Amino acid sequence: MALFKSSYQTAQLGIKSLLLHPMRSMLTVLGIFIGVASVIWLLAIGEGISQQAQRQIEALGAQNIIVRSIKPQKIDGILAEYGLTQTDFELIKETVPQIANAVPIREVAFGFSYDATNVDGRLVGSTPSYYEATNLEIDRGRFLSGSDVAKHRDYCVLAHDVAKKMFPYQDPLGKSIRLKDRSDLFEVIGVLKPRGTSAGIGGSLAAEDYTKDVYIPFTTFNTRMGKEIFRSVGGSFGGEKVELHQATFRVSKIDEVMPAYQLIRDSLRHHNEEQDISIVVPLELLEQAKNTRLMFMVFMSVIAGVSLVVGGIGIMNIMLATVTERTREIGVRRALGARQSAIIRQFLVETITLSVVGGLVGIAAGLLGPMMVTLGRGILYKYFPEQMAGLPPEIQSMTPQIVDISIPISFGIAVAVGTIFGIYPAIKAAKMDPIEALRHE
Amino acid sequence: MPATALTVKDLTKDYITKSETVHALRGVSFEVPEGDYVAIMGPSGSGKSTLLNLIGCLDKPTTGDLLLGEDNIFYMSDNQLSDVRASRIGFVFQSYNLIAQLSVVENIQVPLYYQGKLNRQTYRRCVELAGLVGLGDRLDHRPTQLSGGQQQRVAIARSLVNDPYYILADESTGNLDTKTTEEILTLYERLNDEGKTIIMVTHEDDVAMRTKRVIRLRDGLIVSDEINHDRLRFTDKETGEVIPENSWEILELNASEAKKAVAEEVDSVAESTAFEVDEDNLTLGG
Ligand SMILES: Nc1ncnc2c1ncn2[C@@H]1O[C@H](COP(=O)(O)OP(=O)(O)O)[C@@H](O)[C@H]1O
Ligand SMILES: [Mg+2]
Repeated sequence: MALFKSSYQTAQLGIKSLLLHPMRSMLTVLGIFIGVASVIWLLAIGEGISQQAQRQIEALGAQNIIVRSIKPQKIDGILAEYGLTQTDFELIKETVPQIANAVPIREVAFGFSYDATNVDGRLVGSTPSYYEATNLEIDRGRFLSGSDVAKHRDYCVLAHDVAKKMFPYQDPLGKSIRLKDRSDLFEVIGVLKPRGTSAGIGGSLAAEDYTKDVYIPFTTFNTRMGKEIFRSVGGSFGGEKVELHQATFRVSKIDEVMPAYQLIRDSLRHHNEEQDISIVVPLELLEQAKNTRLMFMVFMSVIAGVSLVVGGIGIMNIMLATVTERTREIGVRRALGARQSAIIRQFLVETITLSVVGGLVGIAAGLLGPMMVTLGRGILYKYFPEQMAGLPPEIQSMTPQIVDISIPISFGIAVAVGTIFGIYPAIKAAKMDPIEALRHE
Repeated sequence: MPATALTVKDLTKDYITKSETVHALRGVSFEVPEGDYVAIMGPSGSGKSTLLNLIGCLDKPTTGDLLLGEDNIFYMSDNQLSDVRASRIGFVFQSYNLIAQLSVVENIQVPLYYQGKLNRQTYRRCVELAGLVGLGDRLDHRPTQLSGGQQQRVAIARSLVNDPYYILADESTGNLDTKTTEEILTLYERLNDEGKTIIMVTHEDDVAMRTKRVIRLRDGLIVSDEINHDRLRFTDKETGEVIPENSWEILELNASEAKKAVAEEVDSVAESTAFEVDEDNLTLGG
């Protein structure tokens, strides 16, 4: 009780002394404040980005192995022929035992129209298993079925965004949409739930953007589009012959992913020279993302740690100045009976008070961080819409996630820093010769 | 409280610097009984500050004994010395030395704080002391809001708060004008009449003349220790009666030795002769 009372009085005294120089105390607190707030912010932003990356990778499907055709740099001439072939696909499907599900995909960018409404999108030919392999979810109607594929039906399923743009006021089900500049008609049999973009595949490929897709049966795609697709792009006329734009292979268990991947890679060895395919293992990306996250955390912690140490040095600097300035006061207190330990306590209480206040304000600012990111982004969108649209999707849609333990940790470090950097000035004050101190001007 | 507040016996103090050893005190002995009012005088460099630091338990002697009541500070640790200062000595400094961030009453409380004796009763006592020194209506004022004389009165109240063996006043009127000096000296006299023991260092004769006893130092030695006969009065603690004269054994002993030296001292108060005694100019009685 007595101890509690005396430490209460010591704290009171410390605060009084700090309030004697409010501006100086505030500036001292600033270092710790910035340190603590930045620990919380940086970790929250890091967590936000990595959670988003993780979600995107998971959307690719952890049990999937994705083979994409890539247009090689060196191809020229009117017809570009490259990529995964139907033969490759069949071979892998038959020879890799782990594969439970194989999804062929062909795709081409196209305009679609209904009445006078035109929408740019992507025509995707695939099979019913595409639905499971990519974890899509149906909103209304149904997805393509086996018989749709077998019978080459002119059915289509719309991604949520496409449906919303083409049919703002109508029910799309049962309506027929037309390929722009062509006569092909497809009847809408289903609409998907909204689905964000997934992570870019293999770096060289664009992120998979499910928002613009119009799905039709794989067989229908082949008969309607043929093996070679010719179209004019940006003024020059060209065509490409790509048998399969993508094949997604799904294994039934996570630990079969890597063995299956080895076999698939071996079967596709003959593409090594052209470099016209890329194999993506989302599971591996997931592992990588986890490692990246860890490294990011360590990196952020180092930065934050440095800023806290800088804050601590700031406190020490101020306290040393304070001790010198208050030499006389120290002498008086010693003469009036203060033990060395009482002087140490007095100055430690001041530094700890400073760092606790800095820590608390820093936590408050840190917690406001996510809100301010959203607010700031909103303002930027309003005044610089084009520039903002050009930013990577990670930044556009990222929400900082406060990491719970960052609060006690940063606060604890702040107080520890205040204590550690306060000890030296406090000891210096206590060790002063009271006679010399009393004589100090 | 013991009958003898302070006993100083064969006290020496050497300062060892790189180039030389300074013998600041070279064997000083005296006793201060309870209720005494002593002025320590002497030219600059004679060892007044050194002696005051020792009496104030801020420093330890090289040899000799310094007893507060029965306790010899020679054997005390730094913490014990701090505790002695907190509980048995009252300090009054030349430059007041109040703590700027504290109010009048809080300044008076400081010695209690270091003894862990802050409570409602002691707070009331601090308020009383503020009243005693005439600042009962300024309890919440800061030192900067007070005049020099008022600040020194707060310091005197602070020196009384722990009911010390003696009050140690170091040139405590040095920064004050004549009128305020008079007020402070009157306050000291009143406190002394109430039985407080006061030891002060001063270089002003008219201040020293207001005390009961003057100890003169030179070159680290006591050259005289005299009773101020016209000021001499003691208060009997039991009866409250003011006794005009007392017999002092220590003075009897020292008087004969000191007589010659006193005569010298009177002539050579001037700083210029502080370190040299002019043998040819010896006169008795000044
Ligand atoms: N800390 C110290 N170190 C070395 N010499 C000192 C110290 N303090 C005092 N002295 C010397 O001791 C002698 C007595 O000094 P002091 O007690 O201050 O005398 P006074 O207060 O009477 O002027 C002087 O010669 C002084 O130079
Ligand atoms: Mg001096």
